[in-house]
Amino acid sequence: MRRPSQQQPILSEQVLLSIAEQLKTPFLQISHRAELMALAERHHTDQSNPVLADLHEIQTTSDTAIRLLDNYLFGARLALEEQYQLQLEPVSVSSVLYDTGQQLDAMAKLYGVELELSLNGKFGPVMANRSGLQSALVSLGYTLIEALPSLEARHSRLQLAAHRCRYGIVAGLYSDAEQLTVEALRQGRKLQGHARQPLSMLSPGSGAGVFVADAILQAMDSELKVSRHHRLYGLGAVLRPNQQIQLV
Amino acid sequence: MHILLVEPDKLLARSECQALEQAGHSVMVAATAQVAIQAADERRPDIVLLELQLVSHSGIEFLYEFRSYSDWQSIPVVALTQVPPAEFSGSAELLKHELGVVAYHYKPRTSLTKICRIVNEHPLLSDIPNIVSVS
Repeated sequence: MRRPSQQQPILSEQVLLSIAEQLKTPFLQISHRAELMALAERHHTDQSNPVLADLHEIQTTSDTAIRLLDNYLFGARLALEEQYQLQLEPVSVSSVLYDTGQQLDAMAKLYGVELELSLNGKFGPVMANRSGLQSALVSLGYTLIEALPSLEARHSRLQLAAHRCRYGIVAGLYSDAEQLTVEALRQGRKLQGHARQPLSMLSPGSGAGVFVADAILQAMDSELKVSRHHRLYGLGAVLRPNQQIQLV
Repeated sequence: MHILLVEPDKLLARSECQALEQAGHSVMVAATAQVAIQAADERRPDIVLLELQLVSHSGIEFLYEFRSYSDWQSIPVVALTQVPPAEFSGSAELLKHELGVVAYHYKPRTSLTKICRIVNEHPLLSDIPNIVSVS
């Protein structure tokens, strides 16, 4: 058997992408079986049956894994095609944050994290790619939801919020976890791909969601920044307002 | 209602089939395009749920053959597929206008309950009686 050279690693990025693609099928199988069993249980027992709660949890976890894989695939493909840029369009920040909240809601409940939507003030449209921005915020959200209980934050609360800054509008996720610092993010970016736990102050795992968000935002000419929202700490996407539509 | 489910994955096919049967439909499962054509020939389906990623002949090839028979031209076909929205959009026009795909659903994010709802509530199927809904 020929041994692969240094230039041809055994598991290339493309193979990892294929594995990620293929992993969605077993997760979907688990999700479907759990749903089917829950449907059958509902016919025989009352809603308070603990089995129903377990089945719901299994389904939510599997569906979350599928979304994570989808977002990973999206971000990884963008990162591999360095020149690739997502097409920008006028996007409503409020509506993206609302939809992000909807997608994160089930997982937040599982982890006992209280999810809040804070949209004080009017924000005009920004230039972004809607599905890209949403994937980035959802990826970020998964990592933070997983991380918050392990940080022993005062309150396991995550706020989806937007505010104006001197560069435009920042849309992001905020909590009272002080570990979300500029230094932690800078260090994480440096260690990503080299360390098992690049965001060691923040996430007990690989913190992949943060880097996926990074890659997606870069492909839409935006960036992920550490930011503050009132007294909370968080990570957000810096977005340019769409001046043309605001004039109209 | 009689459903032709074209699904190459055995386990997914089993759950989808069970859910649709529990909702009161009869289901014929086909893993390949060729078996799907034979199944439709044996009994005309009221609706086809189609995975586009099939072994050997793709879902698009299946549709070209399926639509070439005049009897089957009006049968609604719903794409229930692993092909993500961004990739599907490239073929959306062809599938919709030339091959009569009436709806697209990204399978990894479509629950069994939603699959039953798609079948039960599709406007082209609203005049077909005896539909049991799954909540």
